[in-house]
Amino acid sequence: MCDLFAMCAARSHGAAGVLPLFAARGRRNVHGWGIGFFRGRIPVVEKSPEPVFRDGRAHDSFQRLARVVAKPIILAHIRYRSSGRVDECHAHPFTLDFWGQSWLFAHNGEAGAIESYRSRQAPLLEADSDSARTFEFLRDQFAEAASRPNHPTFLQILYEALAGLIRQYPGEYNFLLSNGRILWAFSNHRQFLLLKESRNLEEALLLTTIEEGLSPENWRTISLREGTWGKILLIAGGDLVLEEDLRPLPGCPTISSRDLPARQA
Amino acid sequence: MCELFASSTAQDATAWEHLARFAEKSRNNPNGWGIGFFRDGRALIEKSSESIHAGDQVHDGFLRLARVVDSRLIISQICGPQEGQPKESPVLPWSDQFLHHHWLFGFRGDSRIAHYQSPRPIMPDARSAVAVRVLEFIRDGMEAEMQVWPDQNLYQALALTCKRLITDYPGDYLFFLANETVLFAFLNHGEVLLYQPPQALGQALVLTTVAGGLTSDPDHWLAFANANRSRGQLLIISGGDLLYQGHL
Repeated sequence: MCDLFAMCAARSHGAAGVLPLFAARGRRNVHGWGIGFFRGRIPVVEKSPEPVFRDGRAHDSFQRLARVVAKPIILAHIRYRSSGRVDECHAHPFTLDFWGQSWLFAHNGEAGAIESYRSRQAPLLEADSDSARTFEFLRDQFAEAASRPNHPTFLQILYEALAGLIRQYPGEYNFLLSNGRILWAFSNHRQFLLLKESRNLEEALLLTTIEEGLSPENWRTISLREGTWGKILLIAGGDLVLEEDLRPLPGCPTISSRDLPARQA
Repeated sequence: MCELFASSTAQDATAWEHLARFAEKSRNNPNGWGIGFFRDGRALIEKSSESIHAGDQVHDGFLRLARVVDSRLIISQICGPQEGQPKESPVLPWSDQFLHHHWLFGFRGDSRIAHYQSPRPIMPDARSAVAVRVLEFIRDGMEAEMQVWPDQNLYQALALTCKRLITDYPGDYLFFLANETVLFAFLNHGEVLLYQPPQALGQALVLTTVAGGLTSDPDHWLAFANANRSRGQLLIISGGDLLYQGHL
């Protein structure tokens, strides 16, 4: 099973202290790796089909990138193939443009049903995998929503897209989606571990799928709630801004709060 | 009544065209103006107690700032005459530091919150300054929420604090609260208008309280109105995206 990593802060930070730990603890993923970030509005991705960790050390290029990349948001993915070939084009993160901006996307989980999805939008991702089709599916929902007259919120579109994805193409979806300023995370299997104010990165928020976290600190486990279809997180500037349950019934989401009244439709 | 303005963009940008129109359409507000923005994560504010208009001209300093200030988030306020009893009316926006961020705050409304006593007053001698008391209440409430329940998300902390605000101090509230990444807009009365410039999907948004908006065609503005003072709604905006609309 692949693993995901994200660092999110208000200002540029390096992740040299945690990315090698991510590689080491995710060493069972032997089918490639990728690191993504934004330079201005432009997504930048460096990836490789080689194992991220071999002979007791992280991949040389992965280590070098971990040392030099400093951005407000950094995504990383280490791959264990469940769909598609083992080559650079199948490594994550992927990039696509929609909703007026560029996005990075990294996914883990097995979702064989989505492999049959055929997008009518361009461009198509070169990769032939469930992850690539999932990203295209999400892109297509936003492309269709762009012409709606009632100016839906981004979460409304994402929520409806995810409900449609899971209804039409049942599967395991853990993913990260970022435009370089904010980070959306979704999980309907496994878990995310979240750490704020790490000793190494006080101003940043760290997120990973590695079960034990990346340090002996107080990582919070976030997983889907019973009776729901998944968990949606919005992270910006080092803060968990919003946490929403994806519910199986049609309709708008409700605020997952101790005592807030339910959100109006 | 004060008028509020905010622009949120994907990259640092000026908002001079909309700010100039904002000033034009707020000419009846003589009690000062302010422009707040972010530079390197810090909130900076330029403000004046002078009228936004001198004769037929928009205040020279305001226009110069509008042309020069470039920031992903800009909040501006033009202060109007107060209804009822004359009150001390500090020029907004205000800024404060809490929850590891610098914040900008713009406000319009009225309530009995002037009696609120914060353990950490921003401006102790402004006893009747409603806006300052609201900012203190929001800051104190969010800090308390996050202290009691650190796993809570920022929206929850703010929503619960706003709920308490309108319960403990019933009144009219409409405010913009922004750190360097995210803009929250809360209202339990009046109307906030949102504008997405053509061809700028995901790149830029403008918010204002000015009736009819800041372009020649009011139909281009999406209205978020709130009629029930005992409830309210919160918008989350980042970059050029309206991310979320939640009702309390």
